[in-house]
Amino acid sequence: MEFLTSAADMMKFLIPGLGVTISVTAIALAIGCVFGAAMAVLRVYGGPVARTIALVYSILIRAVPVIVIIFILFFVISEVIDLTPFMSGAFALGFASGAYQTEIFRGAILSIPSGQMRAARGIGMSRFQAIRCIILPQAFRVAIPSLINEISLVLKDSSLVFVIGVPELLRRAQYASASTMEPLLAFGCAALFYMAMTLTLSKALEAVEKKFAVNF
Amino acid sequence: MKNPLLRIENLCKSFGEADVIKGVSFEVYPSEVIVVIGSSGTGKSTMLQCLNLLHRPSSGKIFLEDTEITAPGMNEDHVRRQMGMVFQEFNLFNHLNVLGNVTVGMTRVLKIPAAQAKEQAMAELSRVGLADHADKYPAQLSGGQKQRVGIARALGMNPKVMLFDEPTSALDPELTGEVLAVMQQLAADGMTMVIVSHEMGFAREVADRVIFMENGYIEEQGTPDQVFNTPKSDRTRAFLSVINRMEGV
Repeated sequence: MEFLTSAADMMKFLIPGLGVTISVTAIALAIGCVFGAAMAVLRVYGGPVARTIALVYSILIRAVPVIVIIFILFFVISEVIDLTPFMSGAFALGFASGAYQTEIFRGAILSIPSGQMRAARGIGMSRFQAIRCIILPQAFRVAIPSLINEISLVLKDSSLVFVIGVPELLRRAQYASASTMEPLLAFGCAALFYMAMTLTLSKALEAVEKKFAVNF
Repeated sequence: MKNPLLRIENLCKSFGEADVIKGVSFEVYPSEVIVVIGSSGTGKSTMLQCLNLLHRPSSGKIFLEDTEITAPGMNEDHVRRQMGMVFQEFNLFNHLNVLGNVTVGMTRVLKIPAAQAKEQAMAELSRVGLADHADKYPAQLSGGQKQRVGIARALGMNPKVMLFDEPTSALDPELTGEVLAVMQQLAADGMTMVIVSHEMGFAREVADRVIFMENGYIEEQGTPDQVFNTPKSDRTRAFLSVINRMEGV
């Protein structure tokens, strides 16, 4: 593979992996956000059973390395449900991120003054309406700085799905490295891409954070 | 006399071992303004929050018009919709602007179409003198303005009765006036109001009836003139003398 000897060519070769990395990350974050917000609501407002389920989820998942969850989904669960490597990887990352996002959202919900709930109930909202229309929108804004951090963690963790053969950025870099015997060039370019993505994302999200800041 | 709008029968509320309200009964008639006074920690706020079931009474009955709202199986959300509540700490929704604070209940709870809700909300905001501030967020308002938004938010639900939980206690003295003026106008418009307050001047001027609460009971009630000028109970006299000394009357 002589054509991969220049940095420009190497980057061109890696670019399709970039798309896969971004898709895996986006799906994982979306799943994690839904899971995290739901579990956090259960942790704070749920009955004893719901609270316990959410607590066990958060503790167990956070106690296991992400790669183990990826293996479980790919080798065990995908025997039962038909999952492509891509989907196994994205779901596993989402599941893991959900546990961390549970803690992020829980902290954010608890930071909302209790008077907000009372005022919402005071105008006749149900508990569910109050959580959905009053508490969560504010909690989400409080959570944005931690979510930005979580996004860059998931983006980097997405490289783990290369072990189950998903052709994302790192997988393609490894392939290029093996066939060209140029590991520095291959992994260096991959590192540059990760850095570019992480830095661009955090800059973009800082703008979001400013836009949605709530003052108490 | 007309039928009472609210009838409270032997209301009790305990938190664990602590009995806070120990059997309170009174009636609120349409367009009546009742001011509840008393020392801190005598259960005034708890009593008020029992009226719209924000605190579930331990025993006793509350009737709104002819419906017993403390009856088992009663839809509490539906009850609260009919009673506006104004809080000491304002509790405005911080992520919504002033207009949003007033319309959110109208659109989400009463299912009023957005355009109509906006129009009604602007009318309520004009009523409290804040139509110009509709686009601001709570953090950009003074305490007095926040509380007036709180009042507009409650009025937007078109309540049968307004409950005020120490509406001016968190305000600088110079800001209480603007809130009291709005409340006075509401009273003049015929709104039924139950107000927990430390503003004795306001009570004297606006209340139809003053209730003095002490230690979880109603110690004394009557017209402002009766309660302030010829109190029957020693406890009322003692409380008023302390207040009068503080206010330098």
